Amino acid sequence: MDTADGHKTAGATPLQVVKAVFWSFLGIRKQAEYDKDAVTLKPVQIIIAGIVGAILLVLSLVMLVRFIIR
Amino acid sequence: MEATHAHDHGHGHDEHAHHHPSGIMRWVQTTNHKDIGTLYLIFSLTMFFIGGILAFGIRAELFQPGLQYWDPEFFNSLTTMHGLIMVFGAIMPAFVGFANWQIPMMIGAPDMAFARMNNWSFWLLPPAAILLITSFFVPGGAPAAGWTIYAPLSTQMGPGMDLGIFALHIMGASSIMGSINIVTTILNMRAPGMTLMKMPLFIWTWLITAYLLIAVMPVLAGAITMILTDRHFGTNFFNAAGGGDPVMFQHIFWFFGHPEVYIMILPAFGIVSQVIPAFARKPLFGYGSMVYATSSIAILSFIVWAHHMFTTGMPAAGQLFFMFATLLIAVPTGVKVFNWIATMWKGSMTFETPMLFAVGFIFVFSMGGFTGLILAITPVDIQLQDTYYVVAHFHYVLVAGSLFAIFSGTYFWLPKWTGHMYDETLGKWHFWLSLIFFNITFFPMHFLGLAGMPRRIPDYAMQFADFNMLATIGAFGFGLAQLLFVWGLVKCARGGEKAPDKPWEGADTLEWTLSSPPPYHSFETPPVVK
Repeated sequence: MDTADGHKTAGATPLQVVKAVFWSFLGIRKQAEYDKDAVTLKPVQIIIAGIVGAILLVLSLVMLVRFIIR
Repeated sequence: MEATHAHDHGHGHDEHAHHHPSGIMRWVQTTNHKDIGTLYLIFSLTMFFIGGILAFGIRAELFQPGLQYWDPEFFNSLTTMHGLIMVFGAIMPAFVGFANWQIPMMIGAPDMAFARMNNWSFWLLPPAAILLITSFFVPGGAPAAGWTIYAPLSTQMGPGMDLGIFALHIMGASSIMGSINIVTTILNMRAPGMTLMKMPLFIWTWLITAYLLIAVMPVLAGAITMILTDRHFGTNFFNAAGGGDPVMFQHIFWFFGHPEVYIMILPAFGIVSQVIPAFARKPLFGYGSMVYATSSIAILSFIVWAHHMFTTGMPAAGQLFFMFATLLIAVPTGVKVFNWIATMWKGSMTFETPMLFAVGFIFVFSMGGFTGLILAITPVDIQLQDTYYVVAHFHYVLVAGSLFAIFSGTYFWLPKWTGHMYDETLGKWHFWLSLIFFNITFFPMHFLGLAGMPRRIPDYAMQFADFNMLATIGAFGFGLAQLLFVWGLVKCARGGEKAPDKPWEGADTLEWTLSSPPPYHSFETPPVVK
C-alpha cells in the first residue's frame, strides 16, 4: 500500500520491521526510530511481522510453561 | 442531533443537484454518513434505556433478600437480556454511530465508502432489536442462559432462545458490514497527505476494532448456529450424550468473547485520546506508542480467551499459559494510561464535561483494569469465578470504560453535530452524579464477591443484605442521572448558544475546520493535510 500522497519511499530492512514489532508488543518506541518507521515501513510488512511475532510469543509462553511444569 | 440541510435546500447551488426525501423517508432511505450516525446513536440510546430498565428490575429484586418481584426464571431472563442488549444494542452501535459521524469528517472524506451498505447495516438493527425484545413474550420467555448463552442451558430453552440467536445473527451481519465499510473508508478515502501515521487516534482505534470485528463476529455466528442446529436439527455439537462437548461451546464463544471486550473498549480509548489532548492543550503524548499499544492489545486479545474458563478444568500448562498471556495485556494498556497522564502533565487543562468524563474514565477504568489483573491469576479466579467480584470488574470496564467514553465523546462532538453548545451545568451534574452513583453501585460488589455472593441469583443469604441494598440505591441513582443526559441532548438538539466551528481551543482534527453543524455533504473537495 502506498502512502496517501503516492510518495514512494525506501523500504525498511527486515531487522527494522522486527524491531518495530518487538517494541510494539511493549507499546513504546523511541521517537527517532518511530519517525523512521513512519516513512519506511509498509503496512503489509508490519502485519506479517506482527503475526509471526504473535506466533513466537505464543511459542515462548508455551516453552516457559513447559519449563515450569516439568 | 440534526444534520444540517443548509446545502440541500439551496438547490440553486451549482455544486449539488441532489434531492432526497424529507420526513421519515429521509431516515429510511438515507445514505448520508451523518444521518446514519445519528440513527445509530439514537438507536443505541434507546437500547441503553431498555437495558437500563432491565437493570432496574435486577436491582429491585436484589434490594432485599428473599423473592420480592420476579420468579427466578424471569430474573435469569433479566440478567441475560440486560447483558445482550447493553453489549450488542447499546455499546457497539454507539461506537458505530461515532464512527459514522466522525471517520469521514476526521480523515477528510465526503462519506463512507459503501453508502448504501451503510444504510443496510443500520436498518438491520431495529428488526434484530425487535426480535430480541419480543422474546420476552413467547412461551418460555426471553433467553435466560446468561449473555454468554452457554450450552447446555441454551440448547434446552424455549423459542425465546431462537429469537435471541436470530437477533445475534442479524446484529453480527450488521457489524461485519459496518466494519468492512469502516476499513475501506479509512484505507482508501483519506485526504491527500494524511498518511496512516498522521491519522487521529480515534481513526486508528476504529481501524483495528473493525479488523477485530471482521475476525470474530463469524466465530460467534458459528457458535450460535451450532446451538441452533443442536436445538432443532439433531446435531450434537455441544451435547455430551451424543458425543459432543459443552465445554467446546465455551472455547468457541470466548474466542469471540474476549476480542469482543476489546471491540467495546478500543474505540473508547480512541475517544479519550482525542478529548484529553484537546482539553490539556497539548498534543497526545506518545502518539506512535499509542498506535503500537493498540495493535498489540488487539493481537494479544486472541490468545487469552480461556481465562474466562479456568474453572472448567484444564491442564496446569493451559492455566499458566492463559494466565501469563492475560497478564501481558496489562503492559500495552498501562502504556496507554501513562500516555494519557503524560499528555495532561503540565498541560493547560480545563475541565469541561468531555474532559471530566475522560478523566473519570482513566480513574475508574484503571480500577477495572486492576481487578482484571487480579482475576487473571488462576488460583484467585478459581475462588472468584461467577461471584459479584466479576460483575464489579466488568462493569468497571464497560460502564466506567466504554460508557463514560461514549458520554465524553458525545459532549465533545455534540456542538459540532448540532451546531449548539450543550448545557455545561447540566453536563457537569450528569458527570458527577454518574461517577458517584456508579461507584455506590459497583464498588460494594467487590466486597460481595470476595465474601462469596454468586452472580445471576435472585435471592441471597442475609449477610449480603447491606451491600446489596447500597448497590440498588446506587443503581437507581445512576439510572435516573441518565435522564439528565437525555435532557441535555434534547436541549442541545433543539437550540441553545450557537457553537463556533471549533469550540475547543486545543482540538486540532479536521472536523473542526468545518462549520458547526457541518454541511450535509462535507469535504466534497478533500482538504490537503500537511
